[in-house]
Amino acid sequence: MRLPVAILVALAPSLAAADGTLSMRGVYYKERSTRVMQPMLDGLFDVGTRGLVNAHFLVDAITSASASSGADNQMPFTENRLEAGAGYAHDFDPIRVGAQARYSSESDYRSFYAGVRGEVDLAQKNMTLGAGFGVASDKISAAAAQGPAIPTLSCTPTMSERQCDLTSYIGFASASQIVAKNAVVGLTYDITKLEGYQSNPYRTALADDGIAPERHPTERLRQAIAASMRYYVGRTKTTLVGAYRYYHDDWDVDAHTPEVRVIQQVGATVDATFRYRYYTQDAAFFFRDRYPTTDAAVFPFISDDVKLSEFTDHTFEAKLGVFGETFGMSGRWADARFEGIISYVAQYNRFGNAVIAHAALTVPITY
Amino acid sequence: MLCMAISASGCVVVKAHQREALAKRSMTNDREPGEARFGQHATGSREGADGGTGQPGGGCGCN
Repeated sequence: MRLPVAILVALAPSLAAADGTLSMRGVYYKERSTRVMQPMLDGLFDVGTRGLVNAHFLVDAITSASASSGADNQMPFTENRLEAGAGYAHDFDPIRVGAQARYSSESDYRSFYAGVRGEVDLAQKNMTLGAGFGVASDKISAAAAQGPAIPTLSCTPTMSERQCDLTSYIGFASASQIVAKNAVVGLTYDITKLEGYQSNPYRTALADDGIAPERHPTERLRQAIAASMRYYVGRTKTTLVGAYRYYHDDWDVDAHTPEVRVIQQVGATVDATFRYRYYTQDAAFFFRDRYPTTDAAVFPFISDDVKLSEFTDHTFEAKLGVFGETFGMSGRWADARFEGIISYVAQYNRFGNAVIAHAALTVPITY
Repeated sequence: MLCMAISASGCVVVKAHQREALAKRSMTNDREPGEARFGQHATGSREGADGGTGQPGGGCGCN
């Protein structure tokens, strides 16, 4: 998560008399061989008049029969991932700076991320420019393997270990510009350099002469550029959001992601959102459905990663947001927001289609 | 990107008191942090183009 500093700070005045918000959200995700339940807690708190702290904690309860998760003979098993994060943003008008850290832990994967970012308002706050940098340090093992033995990992072509490292260097820049009283456009650019183990320790690639553990390159440079526009139609109280993202990396994966959202205000306290997202990508240069041989001299890199194959998916989503006032609640509960989301993802690959459901409650708090 | 943004800023200046529509929730951030975070993690687990988010790659065969 990278919540822009401007959004963090902009949210503060909208809290009215409250000094913060507390959000509880539960998410259910289901596809052919994987089910995820994720309860999470998010907090946002004023610190003085110019500071804002955010924090979150979540649990991913993953039940999977997928071999890529470590399942043996397609026997489903469950494991938990814990994640906690916190950040601080300070407003030095017209400059804002922020820092964010996050830690994630599960039996076979630990990740720590730390990053900083800054933003500046220009042209009477009609334009905001932002930039940031972060580093993620991950440690990967095959500890979740359900078979009789925990496999070792080929961290590099010449080194096998129980645990491998992956370091990601992340840079990003953004610009947003008000172009009318009811329209704003944005542009973002992301670049990530990954160094280290990037295979899946449980997956094997299929070849005419047998199977072999995945061998992915240990370096990857990923870049993405995205443009977006928001337009408000006052007569119907409708907001139209359009976005497009282009992604390219040096494994030759190219992806296009257009998305539209229509947000309709219904009265003063209810809003409904409809979202459609299209995603298409082509395959990495070394990906094959089946390799002629597992010989590393012929194919240095082999993979069975669906995410490196050519495919498309479509996401259809509906969201309903309701403030407590709708139900006659008073005090802080009048400003509490209830949210329900249902998504259907049609995936044209072996993951199969997915259903995602959210239920959330955000309550303003004072302290 | 910077040049484009700067040149665009020369076209129009919307004063603070004219930003009623721009201040609406739907025009600033219609996705809460938890929703956006889960969305990023879910697409990062299923799609090859999640780069730049620094999301943990573990679980559910995400790597």
